[in-house]
Amino acid sequence: MPVDLAELQSMIEAALPGALVVVSDEDGGGQHLRAEVKAPQFAGLSRIDQHRLVKAAVKPRFDDGTVHALSVKTEPS
Amino acid sequence: MADQELKSKVEELIAANPVLLFMKGVPEAPRCGFSMRVVQILDSMDAEYGAIDVLPALQPLREVTTEIADWQTFPQLYVNGELLGGADIIQEMYESGELAEALGLEQPEVAAAAPAAAPANDLPAQSPPLQIE
Repeated sequence: MPVDLAELQSMIEAALPGALVVVSDEDGGGQHLRAEVKAPQFAGLSRIDQHRLVKAAVKPRFDDGTVHALSVKTEPS
Repeated sequence: MADQELKSKVEELIAANPVLLFMKGVPEAPRCGFSMRVVQILDSMDAEYGAIDVLPALQPLREVTTEIADWQTFPQLYVNGELLGGADIIQEMYESGELAEALGLEQPEVAAAAPAAAPANDLPAQSPPLQIE
């Protein structure tokens, strides 16, 4: 199943209302995805908890095997 | 559900080692670029850490760390009993100086984007890898 970057982006946006989300495919082959997320919900959270929120938002695509690796960069907004 | 016996063993190791890295391969020979990155960062800071090679029991350990820390990818660096992060987080925290703070160490003077690979003849002393049956 091809990776749908727009879908991943909207999954993260839906989980974190008000977030600025950019999902990119670093090598063009769908194997190295990267999500940069700025969200108000991150304020006061440890980095690991910020990442947990992002990973949880796209978990269905990990579970169904569409996504193998997602590198995440987070920042409170 | 994860193997509860393995889970207890992992919990004991996390409790017994103030800095513990779950990685693919061993510090002397990482088998994955992300694990290698974390090893290079820790070594550049002269950090003392225990390391566990997850490859011999990858799936069972994935299940265990999912239950313990809600995290399934490796590497994972635990500091004082808590998961600090995987490669991305450790790299970011290294660059910002937060990692040195978390480990109670001096920030190396050259905290470059990625530490250069240590020359083979200059490997800092390391604790031997821990074994999980």
